[in-house]
Amino acid sequence: MTEEEIIEKTNRVFEESFEIEPGRLKADAHIFTDLGLDSLDIVDLVVALQSSFGVKIRTDEKVREIRTLGDVYSFIARVKNGEQD
Amino acid sequence: MFVSLLNFFFNFYFYLLFILAVLVLIPLFTLYVALTRTFSNHRSTMRRFRRAMVWWGKTVAFIPYPFIRFRYELNGENDTKKSYIFICNHRSAVDAFLMKVLPHEFVEIVNDWPFKIPVLGIFARFAAFLDIRSMSHEAFMAKATELLGQGVSIVFFPEGTRSVDGRMGSFHSAAFRLAVETGTPLVPLCITGNEIVMPKGSLFIKPGIIKIRQLPPLAADDFTGLTPFTLKSRVWKIMEQELSAMESTL
Repeated sequence: MTEEEIIEKTNRVFEESFEIEPGRLKADAHIFTDLGLDSLDIVDLVVALQSSFGVKIRTDEKVREIRTLGDVYSFIARVKNGEQD
Repeated sequence: MFVSLLNFFFNFYFYLLFILAVLVLIPLFTLYVALTRTFSNHRSTMRRFRRAMVWWGKTVAFIPYPFIRFRYELNGENDTKKSYIFICNHRSAVDAFLMKVLPHEFVEIVNDWPFKIPVLGIFARFAAFLDIRSMSHEAFMAKATELLGQGVSIVFFPEGTRSVDGRMGSFHSAAFRLAVETGTPLVPLCITGNEIVMPKGSLFIKPGIIKIRQLPPLAADDFTGLTPFTLKSRVWKIMEQELSAMESTL
């Protein structure tokens, strides 16, 4: 999966599951302060990402380190690569 | 200078009567609930106790009348036999007292500081007001669900803190998660004028008019299939538009 595909698919999760306008979905957007998610919403985000990418995400330290949308892209890329290894 | 002097006397008058009310009414309310407890069950006692707290709110709100007045506008239903989740914007420390307009039995979701207020903090704890910061999410949801099941409504200030500049802050999602999981109707309560009467960071009150507009409930059918985040975004937009409309007519 290419970086562009991961970005496009992740953004679609934010648009469809969270009704966030595409214009706000920038890599440096902070998911808490800019996009308005809180710690409870992260659980829904993980569920939506799992469903969209067909991967299993453990809500471990790596998830808790996510701050920006760019962090989400990188995290998904690592999970996808990890699965392929 | 003259206005400052008037404000000083107004505050002196208010706080003097407030302290007198605490000294006289709080023991009376306590005695009333304690006496009626002897011939009623726990559930009836709690209902009566929460009603007494509403009467306390009404008393506090009456003290500064007519210098501070309240306009409560009800749009839509107000069925006291149902439990609701009330969503309020938060601009002032007086907001907790403003809930006296609600005819429902309710508890408020608060941070830890209201529990630290002498006397009133004990009452808030006894009335089962919930300190959301000291509870795990699971414990909070279990207790809130139990209260809703008993017919007790729950009042949230989902911004979590008072607004500094009057603009509504982003919402935390606990209230909306509770609504989605329990199918409880959500009722937005829009409040303006409170930031003038007692601005954040001040204990001085000023004369003014506080408007409280209760919007029609969003029934469970209205948010079927929505995530808590999506629901909170929609409610935020509804309230933001309503607050703008209210402020343009002040």
